[in-house]
Amino acid sequence: MTTSERRRAKTWSLLGDVRRKVTPYEAVTAKFHYHFRRDPAPFELDPEMPLNTWYLRHRENSPFQVDDWEGFRDPFKLTYKDYVSLQHERELYLDGLVDQHEATEAAAGLDAGWVDTLRQLFVPLRFPLHGLQMISLYVGQMAPSSFITNPASFQAADEMRRIQRIAYWTKVLGNAHGDDLATTAAARDAWVGGAEWQPLRETVEQLLIAYDWGEAFTALNLAVKPALDSLIDWQLGELASRNGDAFLSLLFAEFQHDARRSRKWSAALVDYALRRDQELSGVLTGWLDTWVPRAQAATEGLAPLFGTAPVSMPATGVVDAVRSQLAEVRATCGL
Amino acid sequence: MPRLARSEWYDLARDMNWKVSYVDESEAWPDELSTGKGIPMEDWWGWDESYKVSYREYVHNQVGKDAAVYSVNSVLARSKMFSQLDPGWKSAILAHYGAIAVGEYLASIGESRMGRFGRAAAWRNMAMFGTLDEIRHGQIQTYFPYGLLDREPRADWAHKTFHTNEWGAIAARHLFDDMFTANDAVSTAIQLTFTFETGFTNLQFLGMAADAMEVGDIDFGSLISSIQTDEARHSQQGEPTIKILIEHGHKEYAQKLIDHMFWRSWHVFALLTGLSMDYYTPLEHRSHSFKEFMDEWIVKQFLDQFRDFGLEPSWYWPEFLKETNWYHHALHLGVWFWRPTVWWNPDGGVSPAEREWLEEKYPGWNDSFGKYWDVIGQNVRNGKPELTLPETFPMVCNMCQIPLCNPAGFAAGYLDSPAPLIHDHGGRRYTFCSKPCRWVFEQNPSRFQGHMSIIDRFLAGQIQPATIPGALAYMGLSPEEMGQDATDCSWAFANGTILKKGA
Repeated sequence: MTTSERRRAKTWSLLGDVRRKVTPYEAVTAKFHYHFRRDPAPFELDPEMPLNTWYLRHRENSPFQVDDWEGFRDPFKLTYKDYVSLQHERELYLDGLVDQHEATEAAAGLDAGWVDTLRQLFVPLRFPLHGLQMISLYVGQMAPSSFITNPASFQAADEMRRIQRIAYWTKVLGNAHGDDLATTAAARDAWVGGAEWQPLRETVEQLLIAYDWGEAFTALNLAVKPALDSLIDWQLGELASRNGDAFLSLLFAEFQHDARRSRKWSAALVDYALRRDQELSGVLTGWLDTWVPRAQAATEGLAPLFGTAPVSMPATGVVDAVRSQLAEVRATCGL
Repeated sequence: MPRLARSEWYDLARDMNWKVSYVDESEAWPDELSTGKGIPMEDWWGWDESYKVSYREYVHNQVGKDAAVYSVNSVLARSKMFSQLDPGWKSAILAHYGAIAVGEYLASIGESRMGRFGRAAAWRNMAMFGTLDEIRHGQIQTYFPYGLLDREPRADWAHKTFHTNEWGAIAARHLFDDMFTANDAVSTAIQLTFTFETGFTNLQFLGMAADAMEVGDIDFGSLISSIQTDEARHSQQGEPTIKILIEHGHKEYAQKLIDHMFWRSWHVFALLTGLSMDYYTPLEHRSHSFKEFMDEWIVKQFLDQFRDFGLEPSWYWPEFLKETNWYHHALHLGVWFWRPTVWWNPDGGVSPAEREWLEEKYPGWNDSFGKYWDVIGQNVRNGKPELTLPETFPMVCNMCQIPLCNPAGFAAGYLDSPAPLIHDHGGRRYTFCSKPCRWVFEQNPSRFQGHMSIIDRFLAGQIQPATIPGALAYMGLSPEEMGQDATDCSWAFANGTILKKGA
């Protein structure tokens, strides 16, 4: 047998005649979505079948287009292996944090007033965060390049991470302060019926049906997620700290790492797109004009709960802090 | 270690189900992305997976698995192991990488679709892990062949196959797009995870892993064994989905989804695994025949799972059982004969000793398939390799996209007719290799009707020049990449004389 005798390849032929050897990150990420802008239709089935028309409508015909998405690089250059390795380390840290606070029976020592705040503001969080997980996966499945799909998928996994730590601690709180905390009803009733939660629920549900991939990315990663991350990881963390709940304060500080990673790759993607087509600024701004007010309305709904904690934070301060982070996200993106 | 066992808190991390009210449920779970069959949303919320895992357990486990597999690769990459592998085995793994690596990555899209459009939070969470798993499988299965590029340029096909119009690539895309990339969430759970992963990937991954270890390809063996441990977890999404469909009176629908994808999976696996196991793997290292694997993993084990749900083997079961005797042998003849159209080097694999093995495993093989190889071997020995190469193309099935080999099945006594099945629909004539392929089409013609097979494209003038070289160029095969016999037809020479180059 003879194998082919052309010159020794430095990299995949689809990556062109690159002189340098591409990085392992690029070798396992570049040009995996064979179906993007494929002729006559994305998928190898009837060109008119529902998923073909769905992708043509919401991806190929999205206003968020550049000539080539394959040039985008996640600033963290995460492969699966790197992501799992990174989060393994961070989860070891959280395991230690939980151990430490379980050993000191930290949950049992919380005062009833603070537990009541947690009941209203902390326990229901897994519902909206699950919404963010779902929407991240939507962005991932619709994105035109694996360089975008992968960080969106890792971001969804980060949401699951946060949800599960919240669920775990909810059970710990339930064991210490009454089983009713650790029930579906304790979370769902507030999420579905609590007045404070309705603006957020309305926003999340609307975001579930924002099917244009560019709009879904913009609304999620530049408006709704940064607002909610700011509200939870920063503001609720601060409230916990003021109320002597060191565990939650540190837990939320940990999630800030994930939130920052999301903001960085999102800003990098916007920067990449705008460098290719400055006109896209108008497209993104148009979407933000819709979604930032919705994200802010969601924040304004929940902010008053911060004012009812034993050591309270004024609602206006919380709203302003979130608004300021949203403005920072926009400014970083040059929007 | 956190004090609470997973079971104490886990339900709180998968109960995030609510009735949307600010938007229509049908907008948030559109039928084309999540065919719910009208089952009330609340009835999906009891969806329960049998194999549970938390995020922290997942990352802690996976980091160890990755470290193990990548370190094996890192050590072996500097060794001579790959160059010393049997040429037929190399063909098996190059065929595998091309057909599977990017396909697995694309399964992450199907998983993400279930992670968004699955109808219960518990299901969406399992699909979240599935999304990560499939990114892993796509990346790890391209990383390994990437490291082979300097020694084996055909490893490039691990990355580019799905971007080409090579006929096997079209068949793989057509199957995988139907199964997950362009499928709705409910069907994906049943067709990808239950039918394909529970059934067929066991075959490819466990079977090939066993053979790899026998052959001494520790790199590939450790790779696919590690992948299989992920598949075992995320493949469980089908069962709870089937249960809910059946509980709501949609047993027939679930059965149809399974029957559809079982048949399609069978054809592609006969092509990929059948040839690898029975012809490409060195004789001394074959642990089982392909048929024995089919009998053990599919006919027995998978069938038991069907029956657990009160489902029955498909209407085409007798035809399927018959095909396990002949179909992959016929495909092997075709693939070997049309070897310039594939990216690997098919191993004829019919030396006297191998023929003896084939006869033992498939009684009658010498009288049916052996007689073709007699003629081919004679042409090879007579120094007439041109007589062993194609001058035209075969018809291709409008469902499985695999060339028809009905005449060989007929000649071997397994089919009533050598003729293809013709089906007229909407003013167009379609050609199918088998009744089940035609049946899949008839169940949902609008899903398939506008698709053109590679032969349809050829006949419609889309492939220019309309010659064999033109078609090979359309398929993306450079002359250096076109398949040749893996061992320069050494199997044809009892005395071991090697044929001149070019066969």
